[in-house]
Amino acid sequence: MFEYALSVMIFLPILAGLALVLFPLRGQVARTVGLIVSIVILFMGIEMFIGFTGTSGMEYVQNTPWIESLGINYALGVDGISLLVLMAAAILYPLVFFVFDTRTKGFYGNLLIAQGAMIGAICATDMVLFYVFWEIMLLPIFFMIGLYGGANRLAATLKITIYTIAGSLLMLAALVYVGVSYHQQFGKWTFDIVQLSALDLGGGYAVLAFIMFMIAFAIKTPLFPFHTWLPDAYTEAPTSATFVLSAIMAKIGVYGIIRFVVPVFEIEFARFAMLLSLAGVVGMIYCGIAAISQKDMKRLMAFSSASHMGIIALGVFCMNVQALTGTLFQIAAHATSTGVLFLFVGLLEQRMKSREIGDLGGIAYRAPIFATFFAIAMLASVGLPGTNGFIGEFLIILGALKFSPFIAVLAGTTLIIGVCYMLWMFQRVFFEKTNEKTAEFQDLTAKEMLSFLPVILLILAMGIFPQAFIKKIEPAASQQVAKLFAMSQAQVADTAVPVSDQNNHKN
Amino acid sequence: MQDFVSLLPLIVVGAGAILLMLLAAFEKLEVETGALISMVFYGAAFFIQLVVGGGPQDVIFDKIFNGMLATSNFSMAAGLVIFGCGFFTSMSCHSYFGVNKFCTLDFYAIKMFSVCGMVLLTMAQELVTAFIALEIMSLGIYILVGYDRTRLTATEAILKYLMLGAFAGAFFTMGAALIYGGAGSTKFVAISQFIAANPAGQPLLIGGAFFIFIAIFFKIAAFPFHAWVVDVYDGASAPVTGFMATALKAAVFALFANFIALSSGFHGQWIDFLFWVAVLTMFGGNLVAIGQSNIKRMLAASGIVHSGYLLIALVAINAEQFTGSVIGYYLAAYAVGTLGMFAAMSYLGGSGEKRVNFDDFKGLAKVRPYSAAAITVFLLSMAGIPPTAGFMGKFYIITSAISAGQMALAVLGVVSSILSMWYYLRLVISMYFHDASESFETQGAPLATISTFVLVVFVFAIGLYPIVI
Repeated sequence: MFEYALSVMIFLPILAGLALVLFPLRGQVARTVGLIVSIVILFMGIEMFIGFTGTSGMEYVQNTPWIESLGINYALGVDGISLLVLMAAAILYPLVFFVFDTRTKGFYGNLLIAQGAMIGAICATDMVLFYVFWEIMLLPIFFMIGLYGGANRLAATLKITIYTIAGSLLMLAALVYVGVSYHQQFGKWTFDIVQLSALDLGGGYAVLAFIMFMIAFAIKTPLFPFHTWLPDAYTEAPTSATFVLSAIMAKIGVYGIIRFVVPVFEIEFARFAMLLSLAGVVGMIYCGIAAISQKDMKRLMAFSSASHMGIIALGVFCMNVQALTGTLFQIAAHATSTGVLFLFVGLLEQRMKSREIGDLGGIAYRAPIFATFFAIAMLASVGLPGTNGFIGEFLIILGALKFSPFIAVLAGTTLIIGVCYMLWMFQRVFFEKTNEKTAEFQDLTAKEMLSFLPVILLILAMGIFPQAFIKKIEPAASQQVAKLFAMSQAQVADTAVPVSDQNNHKN
Repeated sequence: MQDFVSLLPLIVVGAGAILLMLLAAFEKLEVETGALISMVFYGAAFFIQLVVGGGPQDVIFDKIFNGMLATSNFSMAAGLVIFGCGFFTSMSCHSYFGVNKFCTLDFYAIKMFSVCGMVLLTMAQELVTAFIALEIMSLGIYILVGYDRTRLTATEAILKYLMLGAFAGAFFTMGAALIYGGAGSTKFVAISQFIAANPAGQPLLIGGAFFIFIAIFFKIAAFPFHAWVVDVYDGASAPVTGFMATALKAAVFALFANFIALSSGFHGQWIDFLFWVAVLTMFGGNLVAIGQSNIKRMLAASGIVHSGYLLIALVAINAEQFTGSVIGYYLAAYAVGTLGMFAAMSYLGGSGEKRVNFDDFKGLAKVRPYSAAAITVFLLSMAGIPPTAGFMGKFYIITSAISAGQMALAVLGVVSSILSMWYYLRLVISMYFHDASESFETQGAPLATISTFVLVVFVFAIGLYPIVI
């Protein structure tokens, strides 16, 4: 039964979502349907995680020809690289349905479609299939922000949509170029990523195609300087959409780089690694500083999320096992901490009718449980030891140190900025004096507490026992890096890249 | 016998047209019946075409009527697209003319005659035949464009279209004459053999081909002969516009591809020229489309852009083993999306086409969610978002361009489709993100509505199971 598990995880939410959109149902019924579907997906995800062996190959593989004349397959699979991204998409969803209940059926339908499409993009091992899901996952976001967003939603919707579509159309051309090159070199058509990695590209067109791929993923991630859509979109989107965008969809951008760009464009990747890692660090610093000065809590979170995406992306560009493992781990860690923080801000907004930091204060005295949960998620997001954020960031900075001490020092010091804005915001919102508004603040209800508790525990568990997760992702990471070295060292002798024997002794 | 079989679909439609002409003499016969009768004949012709051309072989009858015509899988596919367009346009007309009462039975007869011309055009292998077919098709379309004699815009449209169309026809004959003078034959095969034997550029041939290209560029609305499109599409009634945008384009592109592909000498010489025409057509069309506030005008301008994409495929065709699969597929994908849009416009437009602007469709999703969803699907298909037919079409075109080494053209095509997102999304935003100010009541028979939703299914079916001919 489990051999079709991935297909079920993709199409169950999509079909359920379409049904919700198309058939006249009441909002509460829609929410129940969404809740049931997301819990089914949650259990399938957990089952999959437990059953995953982590021997660095694709598991749960499914491969059916789709368009034979061009070698396009309906090919799915999970390996160490996609496992934790998939978990982020599968496990956190029920939270959204549990916590917020004021939306219409169209909203829940779109949420489900987004989940199915994201799981599809994560599991696709065929480039064209990946592209199809990649584009589909934008549509629900478009409708969610445009229909249910804040006051300036139209501008925000157009910005994110056109930005993203521009990126993905460029990627389409690059993707076709890769397929055509394979056809010219090997005489047959395929878009299967495992076979495409045998490709030997060179010359100006390869660089152009690499840049087009990187623009698409840099926009989605978002990587500096393509981040300008993010503050508007995250702020105007309804809480659940922001959650989907920040916790899962942004990660698919980084995941796309690891999955599709690194194996195909080894040489170009090695050549541009320094520039790209600088973009990551500059993005961290820039968005971090921008976050300090925000007055709107959600906007602050948006910038903080963008800043953290910088370090996650940095881990990919450092090209060694520690950094890559750190990135894969941090993808999941950041999804739990930032995703939950956005949901908490949504809760705050729902109760206070305001998310201006200046309007709030003293909430910790009124709502100790809420404050504790918020604090744990926040500390995980700034990387306090004992939480999952620490493991990921530590590994990435360790890897960065091996790649370039300069980058590592910059990245390490930038984390302090993160602590600054987070703690300062926490102080202003949760301590200081209560005002007449916050005096009425209700603590988490039992239902809310029970729905957040597993994620909070997960944050701590991942921080204290990271090995359970790392051992599943590390083989795939070292394999990926080993391939990268074999290619880039053979071809670019003068590029200073660290030696691969360091891969063996891990922290 | 081959002659007869290959022409059978055409004969069926022609017979239907004559039957309708005769029936038009009976005053009691309803106009709606005409739509139904024509649908039957289109359906029959489509079916016969499918049976005759459905085999696996590439070339079906290579020399019929003494080499004047030939049917290949490509011409058969183009014919299928044309019959399909005729069928769905009749469905839209049925509802449209239920509200706008200026139609007579002759309308459907003329439409069928022009379909005959189009199908003949897809098979033409010789310049004089092509010219005759082109004129049969155009004469019908002229009348259809100006059918509503009381409307000023329709009169303007027919005047513009007729004058410019006559010029284009003149250029075509001129070109044919020059080519005959140079090559000594009007058959494509003989011309191609002549060019192969005399590789040095013959002034007569170059001039002749140039004139023929002008005529074809005019018909497909390629830069710099695209200016008429916006006014003519706007003036014609919605179903007719849809018919022109799809069937006519399919027929002329089939001729163009046959003409260019058969003479590989031509293709080699004109490729740089076509490259620039394709680029300018795409960007010129986008510039026109971005400024429009009327949906029909926007669709007209986006039709120019799609002609540009098809020209990319023409630049990239491989003259040695031409199957035309990319062009055929794109024509089908484009036809499904555009026909769907115009079918929806036909029943949502109301009497006298009172709803044609972006603003008129504000809040449609709140009142008629299914219609708005259907229009969104068509727009996404035209924009090339998966999993629709338009995406696969664009994918094939980019693949063929890059395979032919035209990386620059592929990238420019992609940039152009980024630009086009703006005006497609604009309509979606109008429909979904604004509140409704009216109730979008529609009267009349539901055939256009049915055809809209059938076409939605087609958009996904063609997109998910792309059958490459």
